[in-house]
Amino acid sequence: MDPADAVIVISPVEEIDPELTETVRRAIEEAFGFGTREASLVTDIGFAHDANRGQYHSTPILEKLADAAPGDALKVLAVTREDLFIPILTHVYGEAQLGGRACIVSTNRLGEGLSAAPTTTAYLDRLAKEAVHELGHTFKLLHCKDKTCIMHYCRKITDVDRKSNDLCRYCKIMLGDEVKRIGREAAAAPHG
Amino acid sequence: MGSTKILIVDDELIMRESLAGWLERDGHQVDKVASGEAALEKLRETRYDILLVDIKMEGMSGLEVLKKVKENDPEVDVVMITAYGSIPSSIEAMKNGAYDYLLKPFDPNELGVLIEKIVERQAQAKENLYLKQQHKERTRFESMIGQSATMQRVFDFIQDVAPADTTILITGETGTGKGLAAKAIHSNSPRREGPFVGINCGAIPEHLMESELFGHQKGAFTDAKENKKGRLELAHGGTLFLDEIGEITMRMQIDLLRVLEDRVFYRVGGTQPMEADFRVIAATNRDLDKAIKEGHFREDLFYRLNVISFAMPPLRERKEDIPLLAEHFLRRFSQETNKSIEGIDREAMDEMMMYEWPGNIRELENAVERAVVVGKSTKIQPADLPIFRPEVCAPVKSNSLKEIERVHILNVLTENDWNIARSAKILDIDRSTLYSKIRKYDLQKTG
Repeated sequence: MDPADAVIVISPVEEIDPELTETVRRAIEEAFGFGTREASLVTDIGFAHDANRGQYHSTPILEKLADAAPGDALKVLAVTREDLFIPILTHVYGEAQLGGRACIVSTNRLGEGLSAAPTTTAYLDRLAKEAVHELGHTFKLLHCKDKTCIMHYCRKITDVDRKSNDLCRYCKIMLGDEVKRIGREAAAAPHG
Repeated sequence: MGSTKILIVDDELIMRESLAGWLERDGHQVDKVASGEAALEKLRETRYDILLVDIKMEGMSGLEVLKKVKENDPEVDVVMITAYGSIPSSIEAMKNGAYDYLLKPFDPNELGVLIEKIVERQAQAKENLYLKQQHKERTRFESMIGQSATMQRVFDFIQDVAPADTTILITGETGTGKGLAAKAIHSNSPRREGPFVGINCGAIPEHLMESELFGHQKGAFTDAKENKKGRLELAHGGTLFLDEIGEITMRMQIDLLRVLEDRVFYRVGGTQPMEADFRVIAATNRDLDKAIKEGHFREDLFYRLNVISFAMPPLRERKEDIPLLAEHFLRRFSQETNKSIEGIDREAMDEMMMYEWPGNIRELENAVERAVVVGKSTKIQPADLPIFRPEVCAPVKSNSLKEIERVHILNVLTENDWNIARSAKILDIDRSTLYSKIRKYDLQKTG
């Protein structure tokens, strides 16, 4: 895959309000500088459902998503309305393969603390930040101690409102390093 | 680097994996094992800051793991992971020294807060140690000593590279005198009239590092009551010595690279660009090539630092210098303690020559200091040395240096009930070195 032609694929699990995907698309393009396209890669996540918890285990979804990623997809982001978990934690807002290809965000808890319906600016802002945050992990970015950086891990969803839409300068440099590394790897890979 | 090392001990694969993934995204270095037995095995080779241990496991229970870990290294913080039914065991674990317990599945906030609290507490302890060490370092300055061919080559090299203003990277094991070599380069350079400013990157807690290096403006953070010059400014016109450079965080690596490239920096909270003119000498006992491959050290920073490099030889490779060094330390400590000790008995010197000195010159210095303090005769006797004390010695199977080192380490561990922190202090090596020695010699606690 030539990184110049590579895109980040946004994959809605269920039918999702176009305003939400548009918000995510703009945020991703601005933060990472790659083009995006929408494609529904995994639409049935029943296999990850845990009946006891009434939630979906995000890790196997990521594996399936990575397998379904098309050739031109540098990274894949799934967006779902369902509530996600990993076994050790009660819930997660999203999950990513660190340095991998796939990540997922859930809109399920994004409305916490907001009184209005899920298309308010605050809600859209949270979704955009969570999407960029999870995608950041796929570019090997870790949680950042700078509270204004989008890679900062917020303990509560309401704290997300306080961080900016942008990466701090350290994370920008590390993102740049990783993008360069991906480019070098692609150049060294056999073509054909 | 600069991150917390965490070991997860849980017999459920899915729990181990999900917890590890979560912690890795927080920037921690995480290892995971499936049993208590495997955990103890892992602890023999690596030192962890935090252990997350499931209470209920097949084979060795979490409580047993806790007890064994605390016996060996009371400073490790152990957090027990438990299910609803095991709360009484968690309370017992707290009585046995566990830091806290978490009920699974836990809320992400709860886990984050707990880890943060432990990291802050450990950083505070590190800061206290740093302040103590700083005091100790101020009182102990030695010049480089050595007549061996190996050291002569080092001296020649220093003479050659000192006049140029090039950045130098000094490698070598702990205690080999990398700091002294850096001072020698400075003293022989055109910057000798300027300051020599050192900073131990491994000893300074992350939260202090930025302000130590770059300085800060009044009001930049809660404790910034006054403007403070950082080491970069203090080194203006002289030499900046970055000791244990392999330990700095990725963020600090980015900042440092920028300073080395542009020679311009900002104080924390400052908006005015500052310029300083200094030569950089860095030192490390880490394998930076490996750190680069593992993604822990920036390649561009490495090339900036590694313009010229040389390695300080370990003491075991220049044993002919031991008598000279030992006599030097003897004179100094005799003066300091006001004891008239004339010299070192031949048998004691033989034993010093046979020993491998894993802690290098620093260990030799400590050994002589102890001998001067405890010695009753006019010459240092073998019994005065902490290396060999017949009454506690395990049998030596051969006279090879390795065997002697093995026995010495085993003796120190036995004398100190396998308390790793205490034993490492006595041996004057860091705990990770002691762990690797234990693994190398397959030392086992008996009785």
